Amino acid sequence: MSRVELQQVSKSFGSTEVVHNVSLAIEEGEFCVFVGPSGCGKSTLLRMIAGLEETSSGDILIGERNVTDEEPSDRGVAMVFQSYALYPHMTVADNMSFGLRMAHRPKAEITEKVARAAGILRLEDYLQRKPAQLSGGQRQRVAIGRAIVRNPKVFLFDEPLSNLDAELRVQMRVEISKLHSVLGNTMIYVTHDQTEALTMADRIVVLRAGRIEQIGTPSGLYEDPDNAFVAGFIGSPRMNFLPASVQPNGRLLAGGVAMESPVTAKLEAGTKLQLGLRPEHLDQVDGIGLEASVEFVEALGATSYVHAKLATGEDVIAERRLHRPKAGDKIALHFAPEAMRLFDSGGARLR
Amino acid sequence: MAGAGKRQRLALRIAAIPMGILALSCLYPIFFAVNNSLKTRNDYLLDRFGLALNPTFDNYVRAWSESHLDQYFVNSVIATIGAVILLTVVSSLAGFALAALRFPYRRFLFVVILSTLMIPVQVILVPYMRTMVGLGLINTHIGLILSYTAFFIPFSVYMMTAFYSGLPRELIEAAKIDGAKLLQVWWHVMIPLGMPALITLGILNTLNCWNDILIALLTMQKNRTLMVGISALKGQYSDEIPLFTAGIVIAAAPIVILYVIFQRRIVSGIAVGAVKG
Repeated sequence: MSRVELQQVSKSFGSTEVVHNVSLAIEEGEFCVFVGPSGCGKSTLLRMIAGLEETSSGDILIGERNVTDEEPSDRGVAMVFQSYALYPHMTVADNMSFGLRMAHRPKAEITEKVARAAGILRLEDYLQRKPAQLSGGQRQRVAIGRAIVRNPKVFLFDEPLSNLDAELRVQMRVEISKLHSVLGNTMIYVTHDQTEALTMADRIVVLRAGRIEQIGTPSGLYEDPDNAFVAGFIGSPRMNFLPASVQPNGRLLAGGVAMESPVTAKLEAGTKLQLGLRPEHLDQVDGIGLEASVEFVEALGATSYVHAKLATGEDVIAERRLHRPKAGDKIALHFAPEAMRLFDSGGARLR
Repeated sequence: MAGAGKRQRLALRIAAIPMGILALSCLYPIFFAVNNSLKTRNDYLLDRFGLALNPTFDNYVRAWSESHLDQYFVNSVIATIGAVILLTVVSSLAGFALAALRFPYRRFLFVVILSTLMIPVQVILVPYMRTMVGLGLINTHIGLILSYTAFFIPFSVYMMTAFYSGLPRELIEAAKIDGAKLLQVWWHVMIPLGMPALITLGILNTLNCWNDILIALLTMQKNRTLMVGISALKGQYSDEIPLFTAGIVIAAAPIVILYVIFQRRIVSGIAVGAVKG
């Protein structure tokens, strides 16, 4: 168990810089998730922590030790890859014990550690099988087992669930979270799936184009995003953004409706802004109301998502739990003033 | 459906005729050699194409001992085994490096190795000979082993690089994180995973080394290899075709046996790289 600290870390491939000056501290025992769209540099950052990519500038500390120039094997990290990266010619037991054998650990210790990891991951019956004889979920558990036996200071997960089907993904999500609470190690987890990030993380790091957009707890990012990118990326379906403008009397005009500004900052008349409203906040019975006509409805059983067009022409998505409107219906979308998130034209949050 | 099946079967039968002729044209020389090697000189002169009615192994015994094929055979075995082992080790190491490691001028180096594939052996015979003489490697087994390795290494490296390029990078990265040093990654991951390609390569190189005449003729001038020895038999005993064919059978036998043993690996090995399994 160790804390991980990145100090102004950058990475360039040739002349292209893919990670820009990232500074970040991950606390001991924390489950930290790097999330962002593809190409945002999250995997590169993880691979830099692992030592699989060289760091162009800046320092990486694991447990107070500067490991920037150390070999992957000397950093005390274990990594679980998206493709599992199991050695196809070795049995499950040999796959899991490979690291210990490389370290010339005594046989008894190897057997004991493999048995313990197999127990945690319910792989006892498969120890003599080859990876090709296992299902996707089992292979991923072996990959995790290979990480566990080495008792690393830090676990690194690189989109470990992307190759699994939806049901298994949910199941493995729970298993990895449980594993974290059992082992208590520091874990860094990379994903492009914001649901994984929200459900698993103690803290989420949102990345875009090689820069950190915001760091925070799942509820912190969801409730209080620093910018329109984070607001749009976290939460599903994504937040609705409506163009808004400041009227001479200081009130806002959005979706054809005038409303009080939710922010304390003084707003200049005529300023163009973006109003963010989450679909799940548009189901109030009173409050500010937007007129809309229903275009179609996604019914998901317990809840449904209403795709509607405002009188002013913007598309919005609203969640409905009880009354499910039909396509063509005219409805009013009410929301509480506290649900409003306001961003300037550049996407920065106004508070 | 039934009609289509019949028509297809007919087409297959017609296609079998040229295939059969092709197979016969390959098999007949082997039959000719084996058959005549069992005849006496007189039997052969009386009837070249008939079956050996009184088969005798005298020709084999004579070829083996009188014509020194026993000694040549040992030379060939030493040179082939030595070169194949060296080629396998060097090409899998080089293929691993060129396919999986990042170092400066990696691509350039690969192109240089590839370009040596285009140079015919005959073009470099003179500098090659001078080098061998200069190094005192003429008439030594080690000289022949090194020569074979040098001449066949470009293709071997090319093939192993191509094969290893198809392996997922993560396997090497996982091994590195697991604490394996580069040579351990090579030994524990690249060698076992490269086995299909290495076996194919081993067989191809065995064929090349065993069947070579030109390089062996130059390098082993006093101490012949089997193929050079057989060629010499032809000149020495031009009227002793049965003796000559016995020599040919002795020379071909190891390769045929190797083929029979590794038949399945050879067929699956040729598909290696064509389709990713």
